[in-house]
Amino acid sequence: MDTQVSVILGAFVASGLTLFIFSFLYKDNPFFKIAEHLYMGVGLAWHIQLTIYKIIIPKVWEPLKIAWQKGDTFTVWMTIIPTVLGITLVTQFIPKISWISRYGFTFLMGYAAGLALPAGLTTDFANQILGTIEPFANFFSLSLGKMVNAVIILIGTVSVLFYFFFSVEHKGVVKKISNFGIYFLMIYFGASFGNTVMARFSLLYGRFDLLVRYSQKEYFYATNWVIVGLLIYFIAEKLITNKLLKARA
Amino acid sequence: MNIIKKYIPLTIVFMFGIITLASYYVPNRASEEYLEWINKWQNIVSAFALFLGTISLFYSHYKKIQRKVDGWGYSLFVYIGFFIIMGAAILSNGNISKEGKLTYLGWGFNNIYNPLSATMFSVLAFFIISTAYRSFKIKSFAAFLLFICGLILMLGNIPLGEIIWDKVFGWTKFTIGEIKDWIISVPSTAGRRGIMIGIAIGAAVTSLKIIFGIERGYMGKE
Amino acid sequence: MKEKLNKILKLDRRYLFVLLTLSIIIPIIKPIGIPSKSISTSVKDTYDFIEKMPEGSTIILSLDYDPSTAPELHPMAAAILKHTFKKNIKVIILTFIAGSGGLIDELVRTIPPQYSKEYGKDYVVLPYMANVLAALTQMASDIHSFYDKDINNKPLKDYEMMKNIKNYKDVAGVIGITGTALLDYWVVYVGDKYGVPILGGVTAISQVGYGPYLQKKQLKGLIGGMKGAAEYEKLISQPWKGTSGIDALNIAHILVIVFIIFSNIVLLILKFL
Repeated sequence: MDTQVSVILGAFVASGLTLFIFSFLYKDNPFFKIAEHLYMGVGLAWHIQLTIYKIIIPKVWEPLKIAWQKGDTFTVWMTIIPTVLGITLVTQFIPKISWISRYGFTFLMGYAAGLALPAGLTTDFANQILGTIEPFANFFSLSLGKMVNAVIILIGTVSVLFYFFFSVEHKGVVKKISNFGIYFLMIYFGASFGNTVMARFSLLYGRFDLLVRYSQKEYFYATNWVIVGLLIYFIAEKLITNKLLKARA
Repeated sequence: MNIIKKYIPLTIVFMFGIITLASYYVPNRASEEYLEWINKWQNIVSAFALFLGTISLFYSHYKKIQRKVDGWGYSLFVYIGFFIIMGAAILSNGNISKEGKLTYLGWGFNNIYNPLSATMFSVLAFFIISTAYRSFKIKSFAAFLLFICGLILMLGNIPLGEIIWDKVFGWTKFTIGEIKDWIISVPSTAGRRGIMIGIAIGAAVTSLKIIFGIERGYMGKE
Repeated sequence: MKEKLNKILKLDRRYLFVLLTLSIIIPIIKPIGIPSKSISTSVKDTYDFIEKMPEGSTIILSLDYDPSTAPELHPMAAAILKHTFKKNIKVIILTFIAGSGGLIDELVRTIPPQYSKEYGKDYVVLPYMANVLAALTQMASDIHSFYDKDINNKPLKDYEMMKNIKNYKDVAGVIGITGTALLDYWVVYVGDKYGVPILGGVTAISQVGYGPYLQKKQLKGLIGGMKGAAEYEKLISQPWKGTSGIDALNIAHILVIVFIIFSNIVLLILKFL
């Protein structure tokens, strides 16, 4: 699929689908709806084929075949059991036997809960508290700047935790501290906003870069043709709508 | 019947929860083998969860086509898109490229899936600009603080911003990059750390409730 | 006056969209060419980490991004690969994202020949694996027990550079470049558990959230977004898509700032009218 034809066809399809989605920014239109629905089907198919070719075939089918031929009953059972647990999930759609899906869900929930606990406690809880109080172990040997930073981090972390502590009513001293915590949250959200702007604009840059590339001669001016086509549609639609409105009036 | 419908599933969640938890803290060959097997199981079971989603999506669009509701024609494109990629995957045996050349699936990924997916995310950039103009109202000190930090990060992220800062605030002897670094590593870290600790405690409590069968919402109706 | 100002505030957003489009497309066609001046501490830390590595060391480069986040992450992946090859550091490339195949393929087709690097001797590419946790855990004891073959389906043990690599003790560090939460997995299951130095490359959205990990040194360095990629390219003196990309975003960022300030000034005026 690396022929000149497939490359040019790819350019038309890629720039077409990109511009169909961007056309929503002007107004809702059939091209955007087509692209939107295509995305649903394509996205789902992409993940399904990934699942089949990267998980089901190499991790279920192939090991099962080999284990069956070798008489390795342990591997056979270790492959059949999760397959059966997975199939139980599908019984969700049949109300009379939907309780069978609990077997699949409880396995997933138990696994996820068992995994989340140490990860959260060690990395996001213990290490973060350690990171906050560690500088105070040799506080007076730090430079003035690092001392100030350590104090700011400690005050900020504690006041944010006060803000999220809803078991005690926020009044008096608690209210003052949690209001202070809000300022640290605003700083974090502001910093996130600033970086989100760059991240989204970077993605937009990637799309525009592609559209500019596909507007070149070697791609048969694909972007330009699609833009012209969309313009013709919108102008024609506007003219027809105006005519119909005039006729009704 | 209660044993099969309720107590065995609760035992499953308890068993896998405790063993998975223990395997993280017990540095043993058995722990590693357990984790390898359990991860394989999770991959397989999750794969079937995806089929659940497929059936649900197909069913809802099939109903739309059957009842000929407004816009039912677009639902056909869901099936068209699905079968184009599935067909390409079958023809290419799940490979994006073969011997350095793009397969049908690779072509579909580069020219259909990727433009659709990337463009959907990048459309948000336009809404950022619309929100910045129409909805970013600085009515309190907190909102002002949010704006200032956003402004410093935005200026610090572009070369033009560095030049503007040097021209206007060059006398402070601090560059925009240094201030941006300080904001990310000190006050923003404090804010983020508080959120992380809070989430970690919440996640730990919820995980324990799930493992010990106190939280059973995922099991559906009793 | 009040009606005019209200009208300005309620400006059709499509005009704003057109302004944004022009602010990005024009610099793509005609670059502004303003060089980046500052280098952030976390990017410098990443650069210094690789710079201080002894020649002949091995690192794991986990490239976990697909084309949707490629504009930000692909330039930093290329810059790191160029830097490691320049320093004669061996690289094990792996991925847990199925859509990254084409991007990794592009990197290994174009960059190694520039530094006369040989496959199997200076770098290897491992196949995509869906099972992240199993991979991260198994590599702690024996990488070959999980990855017995490379992406070309040849036995990994046969490659010269892999003969002395058994587990994390034999690698100098891990660099995870990702648009997902996979970097957290490396920190939790490898960095915190086995003490392996972890460095990262993430999208700008995620960058701020890693501040706590950087402060606690759970991450030894971090490259964030396209700006981070541009800074790294400046450090290795090889400008590429990161530099040209951030150049194209100059006006768009200024536009956002101007819009916020302008709309709030109009609001303030309306308040006093």
